[in-house]
Amino acid sequence: MEITVIILFVVGYLIIALEHPVRINKAATAILTGVLCWTIYGVMDHHSVEHVKEQLSHHLSQVGGILFFLMGAMTIVELIDAYHGFRIITDRITTRNPKTLLWVICWVTFFLSALLDNLTTAIVMVSLVRKLVPDKNMRLFFCGMIVIAANAGGAWSPIGDVTTTMLWIGGQISAVNIIKTLLLPSIVCMLVPLIYLQFTLKGDLGHEEPNAHSTSGQHTEVRGSRLMFFLGIGGLISVPVFKTLTNMPPYLGMLLALGVLWVVSELINPDMDDAEKKPYTAAGALTRIDVPSVLFFLGILLAVGALESMEILSHFSAYLEKSLGDNRIIITLIGILSSIVDNVPLVAASMGMYSMETYHTDHMIWEYLAYCAGTGGSILIIGSAAGVAVMGMEKIDFIWYLKRISLLAMLGYFAGAIIYLIIYPYLAVHP
Amino acid sequence: METIIIGVFVIGYLCIALEHPIKINKTASAILTGVICWTLFALSTPTEALINSVPFTGFLEHLKLELGDKFAALSQHDIFRHFVVEELSHHLGSIAEILFFLMGAMTIVELVDAHHGFRFITDRISTRNAKTLLWIICWVTFFLSSVLDNLTTSIVMVSLIRKLIPNKDMRLFFAGMIVIAANAGGAWTPIGDVTTTMLWIGGQISTASIMKVMFIPSVICMLTPLIYLSFTLKGELGEIHEHHVKHEAEMVGGGKLMLILGVGALVSVPVFKTFTHLPPYVGMLGGLGILWVVSELIHPELDEAVKKNYTAAGALARIDVPSVLFFLGILLAVGALESMLTLHNFAEWLAHTLGDNRVIITLIGLLSAVVDNVPLVAASMGMYSLDVYPQDHLIWEYLAYCAGTGGSILIIGSAAGVAVMGMEKVDFIWYAKKISFVAMLGYFGGAAAYLLIEQMLGAN
Repeated sequence: MEITVIILFVVGYLIIALEHPVRINKAATAILTGVLCWTIYGVMDHHSVEHVKEQLSHHLSQVGGILFFLMGAMTIVELIDAYHGFRIITDRITTRNPKTLLWVICWVTFFLSALLDNLTTAIVMVSLVRKLVPDKNMRLFFCGMIVIAANAGGAWSPIGDVTTTMLWIGGQISAVNIIKTLLLPSIVCMLVPLIYLQFTLKGDLGHEEPNAHSTSGQHTEVRGSRLMFFLGIGGLISVPVFKTLTNMPPYLGMLLALGVLWVVSELINPDMDDAEKKPYTAAGALTRIDVPSVLFFLGILLAVGALESMEILSHFSAYLEKSLGDNRIIITLIGILSSIVDNVPLVAASMGMYSMETYHTDHMIWEYLAYCAGTGGSILIIGSAAGVAVMGMEKIDFIWYLKRISLLAMLGYFAGAIIYLIIYPYLAVHP
Repeated sequence: METIIIGVFVIGYLCIALEHPIKINKTASAILTGVICWTLFALSTPTEALINSVPFTGFLEHLKLELGDKFAALSQHDIFRHFVVEELSHHLGSIAEILFFLMGAMTIVELVDAHHGFRFITDRISTRNAKTLLWIICWVTFFLSSVLDNLTTSIVMVSLIRKLIPNKDMRLFFAGMIVIAANAGGAWTPIGDVTTTMLWIGGQISTASIMKVMFIPSVICMLTPLIYLSFTLKGELGEIHEHHVKHEAEMVGGGKLMLILGVGALVSVPVFKTFTHLPPYVGMLGGLGILWVVSELIHPELDEAVKKNYTAAGALARIDVPSVLFFLGILLAVGALESMLTLHNFAEWLAHTLGDNRVIITLIGLLSAVVDNVPLVAASMGMYSLDVYPQDHLIWEYLAYCAGTGGSILIIGSAAGVAVMGMEKVDFIWYAKKISFVAMLGYFGGAAAYLLIEQMLGAN
């Protein structure tokens, strides 16, 4: 039975990785893989059905916590975007010097991505560089750096990236500690490629098309963009605070923030009629969030949960430890692997591989895992959600990225990793 | 603290019921109510009664075993916080089961609709006689709603009568009857209605038993108003200006395939559960996965952008996600009341004061016309324990009937009603004047029939 489930999982995983050539949405494959793994486990296992059902309900409760957190966060970000709230940041960037602009864009991306998910940050920033950098060749370098900065910025904040959030919700890392220990490595991970480009980047931004400015003025303005921006960002920041104060799971804090924003979004435009108002309320924002991604996570996390419950993962980690010896090497490899396969199942599998009894909250391996899985994806353009989005928006070629950016991203990845391994004995709670 | 939490719950509930006058989406109120109830509960000091209750002492034993020596280091307050988080995680698990089940069902139905699969049913209706049409519409709604959820059924049927009945006045009566038939049809199958599904997932009722005893009461609940209207309904359907029903050449292929697959997937969910013993949402997700793959493969000729509308990814963008979050919020809030033992105490008080469970449940049904029936059923499931009232006990079946059909009495009493109100602009007052009374007759007629049947079966 275990062999059957493993084969099923690997086949499912392959179809997910080959999503584009086989032309089947990865959410469909993930759901089927999850359902089939549990069905086989439930029907063929020698344990009682009650035992399997209990394990499944335990996993679903955890997965539900992550998914409702994500849905809340996605809706809040979508709502800020509907009010053009991000213009408050992007309108301030006016420099015309390529190198200065690159630094500004990178730092803004870095900190924005610590608050929002990497995907949204990358989309917001790429739409900005489209306006600011008309020269196509120059823009590609900017886009590459946005991918690196978005992934690096997500790694050190509990709400910045799905994988870090998973570790935080699961109790493997705590909010204050992850910021303390990973901030510096993440900065290094972005700075190394940035400094390299500082010296090698040549060319100018290109001439702005005369009508570029007029298009931005044509958008129908809606009242309250400032208010929604600050409320939304404030809501996102308050989630870790809420968890620390009440000890309740993070998704409750996220739902609270969403509820408050929702009420405000309904009351802020009393003069509009219902149809006009709809796009600017949370109900409208909910229709634009990426529900297939939510179902993809549901499927893939359920599938990994089945492997965990069957103790396949703990056996696998014991085998890895025997053959490779050091956890740090394994996790570094996981990071590099995450540039080829999705990092969510990798982290979910690692969470199942190592037990919380041996590796306590804020143990080195969890923090290092958060760093590696978060930033390793920058090495290839298809390695992270941010990369894929940028590829779609700017038609970046896989090979171009591989030639021009991959090496830089890898340098940054290893530099940050080394920094982390040097500093954690001084900062970590459980050295 | 308990009083404050009950206060928050009541205020939240009022905001939900008064959604339209105060102009705040009920989902926002529901989410806030749920979160605030749990937060207050976590920050409160536990009452004596709670500490001595079975769930708490059981949790204490479990925690002692798990932590061993470290247990002594925990303060009373720490233990209580652990207890609250554990309770919340338990509730979230069962809520997530319901929500993913619903999302799966809604997506499948949306996908069939995108392929115009329902036309294969609606195209067969060709009569132009108002009364005959009313009978057909009601029966089709009744059986469709026993397979699909009430909301979807009423949306499909209302979009159909829009094409069949140009006369606005006449259409309103049809819309009202669709609400009644959809709710009645949902009550007798485990997958026909959210509340029946909740009872089925919770193990309170079993598939075969609910269908056996509930079919006749549900039919009577629909027939009473239908027969009444057959005698009093006057007027014409109105002229259909053009036959745009059948002449839409731009329809994509695969409608029939999707209809068969979709209905097949929905119907196979109970079969899957019986066979594997896994929770129903697993079967529903399996069905969705299959339909999703098929929807991606059957249109190789379309380009990506057009194809998107006909795949599950496109269907997911059209499902009613705010409703899903509404259920999340309201079920969390009810879960808090359940964990605080408030509902348990309320049930005991009701039982003491009213005595007869049948009277209490009849009242719950009437109450479900004013407030949403999902939290009412969730509350009742928390009030009565499965140890005292085993699976398929009279109170569970009767609860399924009352909560399922009582909502027809007012237009805002059920999801189907609210959807129809939104689509056809049925006025609250119009419905109260013209439909409420007949709906109530049907409700009591079916209830009496159920109690009679139950007595006869019990006598054997």
